[in-house]
Amino acid sequence: MKPALEFLIKDEKVYSGALSCRGCGWSLLVRHLASILGEDTVYVAPASCFSIISGPYPLQELKANLVHTVFAAAPATATGVRAALDRQGKKDTTVVILAGDGGTFDIGLQALSGAAARNENLLYIVNNNGAYMNTGIQSSTATPYGAVTTTNPGEGFKRAWPKDLMGIIAAHNLPYAATASLAFLEDLRQKVEKAKNTKGFRLLMIDGPCPPGHKTDPAMSIHIGRLAVETRLFPLFEVERQDYTINYRPGKNIPVEECMKHQGRFKQLFRPENRQMIEEVQAHTDRYWMRLEMLAGM
Amino acid sequence: MKKENSPNSITLEEPFLESFKYPRHVQMVMKGNYAAAEAARLCRAGFIPAYPITPQTTIVERLSELVSEGKLDATYINMDSEHSVFAAAMGAAIGGERVFTATAGQGLFYAHEVLQAIAHFRLPMVVCNVGRPSIPWNIWSDQSDSLSQRDTGWIQFYGESSQEVLDTIIQAYVLTERIQIPVMVVLDAFYQSHTSENIWMPDQNLADRFLPPIQAGPMSIDMKQPKSFGGLLPPEYYNKMNYSFWKAMNKVEAIAEEIGIDFGAHFGRPYSNVEAVNIGPKTRLILVTLSSITSTARGVIRDYPEIGLLKLRLFKPFPREAVRQALAPLSRDAIVAIVERNFLGDREGGIMQEMKRALYGSDYKMYDFFAGTGGKDVPPETIEKIIHRAFQQPEEATWVDVD
Repeated sequence: MKPALEFLIKDEKVYSGALSCRGCGWSLLVRHLASILGEDTVYVAPASCFSIISGPYPLQELKANLVHTVFAAAPATATGVRAALDRQGKKDTTVVILAGDGGTFDIGLQALSGAAARNENLLYIVNNNGAYMNTGIQSSTATPYGAVTTTNPGEGFKRAWPKDLMGIIAAHNLPYAATASLAFLEDLRQKVEKAKNTKGFRLLMIDGPCPPGHKTDPAMSIHIGRLAVETRLFPLFEVERQDYTINYRPGKNIPVEECMKHQGRFKQLFRPENRQMIEEVQAHTDRYWMRLEMLAGM
Repeated sequence: MKKENSPNSITLEEPFLESFKYPRHVQMVMKGNYAAAEAARLCRAGFIPAYPITPQTTIVERLSELVSEGKLDATYINMDSEHSVFAAAMGAAIGGERVFTATAGQGLFYAHEVLQAIAHFRLPMVVCNVGRPSIPWNIWSDQSDSLSQRDTGWIQFYGESSQEVLDTIIQAYVLTERIQIPVMVVLDAFYQSHTSENIWMPDQNLADRFLPPIQAGPMSIDMKQPKSFGGLLPPEYYNKMNYSFWKAMNKVEAIAEEIGIDFGAHFGRPYSNVEAVNIGPKTRLILVTLSSITSTARGVIRDYPEIGLLKLRLFKPFPREAVRQALAPLSRDAIVAIVERNFLGDREGGIMQEMKRALYGSDYKMYDFFAGTGGKDVPPETIEKIIHRAFQQPEEATWVDVD
């Protein structure tokens, strides 16, 4: 056990006053990222909650350059920034994309795939909070099966499965991709460190708590994040080229509903007529885990 | 009214003297697209994001060759779309590099959002557009693509010849880096892009003397002074930003004129924002043209001493002062016939709209002629038809050669 006063963040690389909601994952994530990546970093951000959190003009949360760009093409803008820095000999400067799930799974997927396929020397961070939260909780292709959003006419919740972004990314044969959770900070920080020190295209997908969007108690953000990992809804793993590593194997088989029940967005699934959908999520989660174990065992 | 061609119009010694016309130049035969690529080489473009689209493709192919031959020290990246091309161009320009790329038609339409961003970021860059229209698929010459992007905040030039395209790209870098507004240089599909012409290729050191290396600007990344670029801009600031953009845009006409003259001093070929040919008190009619149709019109009006020509080289910002000055000698009865190789879905073509705005309050008799959209040829006979129909002063815009 480490002494209680040993903080993970020794040198803050953000200013105070980030404009996030209570219990938001973005500001905590960016504090940790920035403390590891340092000031020799250029951040590139498409439209997302972070565009607002980082501060409207003339405010700026980060102690580093931050380029806001168009929604669909952050990896392309980052490609240009990277090329310019490389030409000027600044090869050690890290160029980082900070995107949400809408900007990654949906509108930005082509530019992401392009940059990944070129193996651009970029670090891509996707804070996956499972919907367009900045515009007020609209469905994205990251929105979980059964979650409520404001754009599901009829029943009010989503009946399609989210994209397997990590599968798509792994198919690009990248030097490094990983998932991480704010409830497992040492694992997250190690992954950021590893990503920072890897050349080529790297992607980290973070499970993003969002109290207004997930309809959760802000004080429960980290607890729910931990449950997402413990129930295997959000497995922690790494992919290096073709090699999979599972970073954390939950000790107990906790059912997914233990995580889902804290989230108002899944409330309707607990009604008798929809209970079967929770079983579908459980079956899907179990299959995904089995597949991960098989890939990790190869 | 047609005059006879003079048999003495070509002098015998011309070919010999011609080879000494421009010192420190090499005369070459070259297609327009290659001239555009060579211009990027002469300007030492450092970053080239590329995506192919007909009829632009040979520009990016030639640039790829120039890079692999070691003739151009540029970072050349194959992007996944024109949207990404322009987004990457934006990133590299913020990074302080000299950026060049080229596109056409659908590619330019696809990049529309990023065109707006680049202009409002006030980023210097030069881009070539090889004009072609939108779907249904058509790859031939048409200016609807670039004219429909006239409100994105980019400066636009239209080149009459491949030489002019090459020379204008060089001037455009001086302009864009002085005023921090991006520039689009437009050439005609196939009539220019794939047609070989005589080109005077300047020596590298001539270009270097005219265009110094790019300097970091207010919108460049500075690792020692980190800042946020393009974050949420509240209303008061946004309004102020546009005000400063507007003030800069208002200076472009004068600066472009100055650069055109200065180019003449360096290279022997001076340029102006517009060119007036045979516009005087006795001129009964003038044609207003863009790009290669100008050359056809030049040929036609040689046979008509009472007909003049106004060529627009700078189109955005529209050279209001230069147009007004060029038309000033015209009599009140003179007719202005505008040739439009564009269709913007309105009663009038894009050039007529701008001419009316520029000449608001004056009573020129202006008539609009759609000719050659979708690449339809505009031969001398079509220009003659336009002249004859303009004299009839039609009430509506006229489509030539459609029935």
